[in-house]
Amino acid sequence: MQSINKNNNVQNISRIYALSKRNVILRYKNSFVGFLWGFIKPLLFLMIFTVIFADNSGINNYTLYVTSGLILWFFFSNATSQSVGSIVGSAGLLKSLNIPSFFFPLSEVLGELFNLLLTMIVFLLLMNWAGMVYSPRLLLIVPCALIFAVFIYGLNLLLSSINVFFRDISIIWGTIQPAMFFLTPIAYPESNIREKYRAIIEMNPIYSFIKLGRNIFYSTEVPDWHQWSSCMLIAVVMFLIGQFVFNRLKNQFISAI
Amino acid sequence: MNKEAIIKVEGVSVSFWQNNVGVYSLKDLITKRKSPFKSKTILNNINVEVFRGQSLGIVGRNGSGKSTLLRTIAGIIKPQKGTITVNGTFAPILAIGAGLELELTGYENISMLLALYGTKNSQGNSIEKISEFSELTDEVLAMPVKQYSSGMVARLAFSISLANDSDILIIDEVLAVGDQGFQAKCMEKIYEIKRQGKTILFVSHFPDDVLKICETAILLENGRITHAGDAKEICNNYKKLF
Repeated sequence: MQSINKNNNVQNISRIYALSKRNVILRYKNSFVGFLWGFIKPLLFLMIFTVIFADNSGINNYTLYVTSGLILWFFFSNATSQSVGSIVGSAGLLKSLNIPSFFFPLSEVLGELFNLLLTMIVFLLLMNWAGMVYSPRLLLIVPCALIFAVFIYGLNLLLSSINVFFRDISIIWGTIQPAMFFLTPIAYPESNIREKYRAIIEMNPIYSFIKLGRNIFYSTEVPDWHQWSSCMLIAVVMFLIGQFVFNRLKNQFISAI
Repeated sequence: MNKEAIIKVEGVSVSFWQNNVGVYSLKDLITKRKSPFKSKTILNNINVEVFRGQSLGIVGRNGSGKSTLLRTIAGIIKPQKGTITVNGTFAPILAIGAGLELELTGYENISMLLALYGTKNSQGNSIEKISEFSELTDEVLAMPVKQYSSGMVARLAFSISLANDSDILIIDEVLAVGDQGFQAKCMEKIYEIKRQGKTILFVSHFPDDVLKICETAILLENGRITHAGDAKEICNNYKKLF
């Protein structure tokens, strides 16, 4: 229908790279400690939880338990909250350049993956000090983070596209995140949730990923195939839902941003 | 003139969803049970043909659909009806401050936008050329764009867009912002681009500017082309609207 600029793949990859780089730069622009915020935040949470829960949690090595969950939670929380407004915030570019709009939520996830990498380096030292043993098994966190990233990308597609038409979404998202955080067993053991509320945990897709990551860092057994495949399934379903909604709405973005 | 059509717009209609009066948030949607959107026609059955090397002026009142037409031609907006055939590449639309990230410095913006625009030689010399053309000093280019004056923003945006070696240049009323010296320089650059045989789509509210650049023009009124032809004649028609 339209022959526009030759959008070859190499060019698109360098465009996504440029946007991701922008996001990483923007994130800590004008801040004093810069990317250190990436682990100051989880560190602060870790300290609070240690003070409140560590002694009566009944968890072996509470520091390691919480840290492993917090790293992935903040990856999720940062990536989604940055991305909710990514389409609206890119009005200038979207209106002047024929650039696929999904680049924006995607580059938010990629920028955050980079931040995760930086954070991870420091936390690997911290967790080692807390008793985690270095072993090749830890590399499993890479596929785990990537599957989680697919899930987050799908969610970002959904949130960022609906937010174009109803700006409430970004407010709602900021509001329900703390609730989601405490409904996910990160600071407390899964067994703390009474049997009749089990459904909350089973239906919480985020917990599947947190649990997978925690199995890699905290427990001594390798996550089984059941766990991997259910995470992959959740990620793919979220991606498809996001993709569907995004594609339905994307042609009307320009007029609404 | 080489009569090869570079842009062919056939029967194009574009409509936007418009917020229904009173429905601005989810709360309104849920409580009032109204359909949140109604469709509003912005462009109605547009037919235009632009030849390689032609400069087409587009005039019309505010809200007549000029920018939407430019964006539709550039592929940014997908039309609901009709087809657009383009046999060339576009430079990014030149509009005020387009795509500049306010928090980033001038230099950071240049390298980001060059990558996004897909300019082939995004090496150092291209950045140098841009900063040279913009006449902005090193010190200014190292500042975040949010601290620029509107004229400086226009200079930067213009310089980056023009670094692109594309067949079609789209200009959406930007020339009014820079100071006189820079305006003259931009005009000179546009003439140069014209002499290279490139195609220019030019939107402006100043008939004099349109006449300087374009031989032909179209007049948009409420999303329809009401007059098309010789630029002089169209500009006269445009002046009669007021």
